[in-house]
Amino acid sequence: MRPQKRTAKRYEMVNVRPGYLMIELENHTLARRCYFVAERIPPLEEYREGNRFWKPQTAAQTIQFDVRDTDTGEVVPFGELAGLLYYACCDKDSAVYQMGDLAHDQRVSLYVAITTESEKGHTPMPVEKVRILNTLFNERLTSPGKKVLILPDLFGLYRKITYGQMAVDFGLTSME
Amino acid sequence: MKIQELAERLELKAATKVFDRDVTGVYISDMVSDVIANAKAGDLLVTAQAHANVIAAANLVDNCAVVITQGKVLADDVVKMAEKAEITVFTTALNRWQMATKLYEAGIR
Repeated sequence: MRPQKRTAKRYEMVNVRPGYLMIELENHTLARRCYFVAERIPPLEEYREGNRFWKPQTAAQTIQFDVRDTDTGEVVPFGELAGLLYYACCDKDSAVYQMGDLAHDQRVSLYVAITTESEKGHTPMPVEKVRILNTLFNERLTSPGKKVLILPDLFGLYRKITYGQMAVDFGLTSME
Repeated sequence: MKIQELAERLELKAATKVFDRDVTGVYISDMVSDVIANAKAGDLLVTAQAHANVIAAANLVDNCAVVITQGKVLADDVVKMAEKAEITVFTTALNRWQMATKLYEAGIR
């Protein structure tokens, strides 16, 4: 654990909570949902909710965090962020990969903010919150000319990717 | 200390091209989410993980290089991804504790 210190940065990551990203399917409709639980052990048992039976498919270790504006003290929650997807972890034929590949030529690293998913679908992260994430991560960089660009999932990637493509930790508790 | 000098002193094997820059610290973790939350720009990331998202996380937080321990081998697509991101990746047969000890002895604090 590093000691906390004051910095001149506009934003800082606060309230970092370890837990699990749960991905589960409904037995009859095959609806999928994905959400974060701040538990020490992932809840992997099938359960009933009304007339629906949800079966956890897998769980990935990850974190949730909020972002604090050091100018105003405002804390912005990022509970809807499931994880960041690096363009190079996408299919080479995808638009995101091709955009990211071009962006990298200009030293811009492209990531997509994938949000959690209810059975009704998912909502891309609002642009104002994505702006905060971009500032948060770019303020941490020290390599000259290097930039990070995080985009909301306007591409519907959550339907096309496996969650294992995101920067979360699958299978660590059973690491070979 | 520069990456190249450190690699020579610690007999690290380069799995990618070497993109030389200063090593300003060390972060040891096998969780990409932990790296994203806590590692700092310029840190040398020491990990037993050799998958693509280690590079994604190291790139996001601007780690100076990655050392993959316990003799793990990177897939070709991970090597290409790291080189595109100008992240140097080394491998070593040592485990994370042995690597940490050698880094300390080399003066990296």
